[in-house]
Amino acid sequence: MSNKSLAGAFAGSLLVATALTPLRAADMTHERALNPQREPQNWILHHGNYQGHRFSALKEINTDTVKNMRLAYTVALSGLQSGGRYAFGNLEATPIVEDGMMYVPDGWGSVYAIDVTAGKKGTIKWKMDPGTDRAWAGDVACCGVNNRGVALWKDKVISIALDGRMFAINKATGEVIWERKVADPALGETLTVAPLVVRDLAIVGAAGGEFGIRGYIEATDLNTGKAAWRTYTIPGAGEPGNETWKDGKERWKHGGGSIWETATYDPESDTFYQGIGNAGPDYDIAYRPGDNKWAASVLAISANDGKIKWGFQYTPQDPYDYDEISEHPIINAKVNGEDRKLVVHAARNGFFYALDRTNGSFIAGKQYVDRLTWTTGLDPKTGRPLNYDPNSDIQIYTPGSHGMRGQAAGRTCPTNSGGKNWEPTAYNPELGPLYIPSIEGCNIIETVEQKDFADQGGTIKPRERFTGGSTKNSERRYGSLKAVDPTTGETKANLRLTYPNYSGALATAGNLVFLGHYDGTVSAYDAKTLQEVWSFNIGTGINAPLITYAVNGKQYIAVLAGSAMREVVLGSAPELRNNATASMLFVFTL
Amino acid sequence: MKMKAARENTLRYTFVALALLSVAALLSASGQAQAQAPLSAEEARFIEFGKEIFKSKAVCQFCHKWDASGDQGYGGNALSLRATKLTPEQMTEVVKCGRPATGMPYHDRFAYTDKRCYGYTREQMGDDMPPAGNDFLSAREVDAVVKYLFAKDVGHGPATYQDCIDFWGTDTRQCEPMKQ
Repeated sequence: MSNKSLAGAFAGSLLVATALTPLRAADMTHERALNPQREPQNWILHHGNYQGHRFSALKEINTDTVKNMRLAYTVALSGLQSGGRYAFGNLEATPIVEDGMMYVPDGWGSVYAIDVTAGKKGTIKWKMDPGTDRAWAGDVACCGVNNRGVALWKDKVISIALDGRMFAINKATGEVIWERKVADPALGETLTVAPLVVRDLAIVGAAGGEFGIRGYIEATDLNTGKAAWRTYTIPGAGEPGNETWKDGKERWKHGGGSIWETATYDPESDTFYQGIGNAGPDYDIAYRPGDNKWAASVLAISANDGKIKWGFQYTPQDPYDYDEISEHPIINAKVNGEDRKLVVHAARNGFFYALDRTNGSFIAGKQYVDRLTWTTGLDPKTGRPLNYDPNSDIQIYTPGSHGMRGQAAGRTCPTNSGGKNWEPTAYNPELGPLYIPSIEGCNIIETVEQKDFADQGGTIKPRERFTGGSTKNSERRYGSLKAVDPTTGETKANLRLTYPNYSGALATAGNLVFLGHYDGTVSAYDAKTLQEVWSFNIGTGINAPLITYAVNGKQYIAVLAGSAMREVVLGSAPELRNNATASMLFVFTL
Repeated sequence: MKMKAARENTLRYTFVALALLSVAALLSASGQAQAQAPLSAEEARFIEFGKEIFKSKAVCQFCHKWDASGDQGYGGNALSLRATKLTPEQMTEVVKCGRPATGMPYHDRFAYTDKRCYGYTREQMGDDMPPAGNDFLSAREVDAVVKYLFAKDVGHGPATYQDCIDFWGTDTRQCEPMKQ
């Protein structure tokens, strides 16, 4: 199908869908989840579709009309309360929009249903406050008070809270139908990930890679509110991969491998692709000799029963805290003239990867960040870092690029934050590129010898930090937006950004790419040239991805603003340091 | 290169000297803790004000932990303030000026704009320049957080369940693990 006829089909489906928009939202079914393209006026899945494209067929707002885009209205939310180690909560969620109702959580897990049908104001219809024990949960949150979104299932909203609970909420009234404990803050576990709902299962995983957890992915049967299956990301004794923990002291039991961003899902094979976080402790690799699977990896997992089909480890023995939890877009494309089923990933370690999603074999990989010093490249056959030493239990990679016991601090590029962190890419299937919003720069890693956990004869208690060192940041970071060919990793267009990007990308059929920025600027870029074609500054930093939806045939762009005010950004950007954070929804239209 | 090395040596000597000076300070601080007179209402209020600086405004607890026993991870390898050998005057200087070449931030808005901090300007500090705190503190706020630390943490042994309740209150599970 040509681009033109595709666009025509999308426009047609928009008209049909808009005309057929029901007065009361229909139940969210698996059939609808498989076909979000049939209702482009809505944003019904976390990543826009199961394939993780964050692409909308809406194009009323396009390269010609975007110059007329203006702020339509704002809605103030709560969620700024302090708790644990944090002075305030922040907003990182991707909104869900269904037939004129928007569902968003704040950092402490309150869920808001906002009626956005008027187009001139948003009316909060209900708010569900889960009563999170903020000190208890906030003291074991590594990196802010976060909640990345909710999901729809039948006539319910499925949400999570930082303190480890999952909720099924009546979509019409906000009443909690059931709740269950998935993750346990007593063990340093929290929940921040937007649930992936497949049929009647809600799939989430525990965060806590800096607190000595053993990571897992768990499916909840939404009909019963009970666990359906749990799969550990760090294999146990006798399971494949456990042999890559060579300490001989069962340190895999606190081996990290956390989950904090939503997987992509391939209905064809009933497989989801889950990015896995760093190994624990983060920086003391002498504590955990071996490759430490499946930390810093992607796992292909059967949605039905949680069985691991294959895994691919990006950074064996990761000494850099390169969590690879972020999205793994699913793309079908020709590679060297052959139709291939790809799963791709803009990794925190600075490389773009294309894998065969049927078996995890490496197809292509290329550096996408400006500076990458920890290795010299990727093996073209295996995708392993070129200076990975298969005969050593301790990976040096580039000498001096990470911390080691008793040695001077290491300096690594990209920083331990990436590369690209959780903030998602967007893929335009009509034009072809994957848009990668990135963090550019370098930082320092200092290793401190990690002590053992109390249950392994040491002194570390549950809920205590378990990082084996720390990072230092003295250099100013910047950002970039890169348009990358997802079959090769080739960068086709590149735009330098003043600030490292902590929002994520949205692509639309209007040939636009949208980003939010740390200084409060919302920008639209021409999808082909990456030239900025529109911007508006909301006066407070943005840490959440944008989405688009339509009501009554009119297209809107929405974003939550609630900056975590990260010291790694503000510490070297004095022009931002007196800005205040907020807890707001901003909506734009023509 | 030579100048940088000389500066690093001077800095190092300054900190060694600070550390040595502080051994005596620790002993005297412990002595003071034992012979403390009851606090006046105003002193108690001021210490409570300092707690809020430590907990929320400057969020010192993010790196040093709620009980000031030190921690690692994002933010740096933060030292224990329970075991610190600094005097109140030295700690005041560290809060205002940060610790060069570490993650300990400075909280005086004008630090390193002149030579008020260890005799160095930002230019002279170069790569050793400490980061800025997320919020700057007034002299009164610095005074309060230092008084709070010396009243509750410095020279004290490991934190107790009661210390935890005093910090977090009773409306959270936060102190439960310390009950055992």
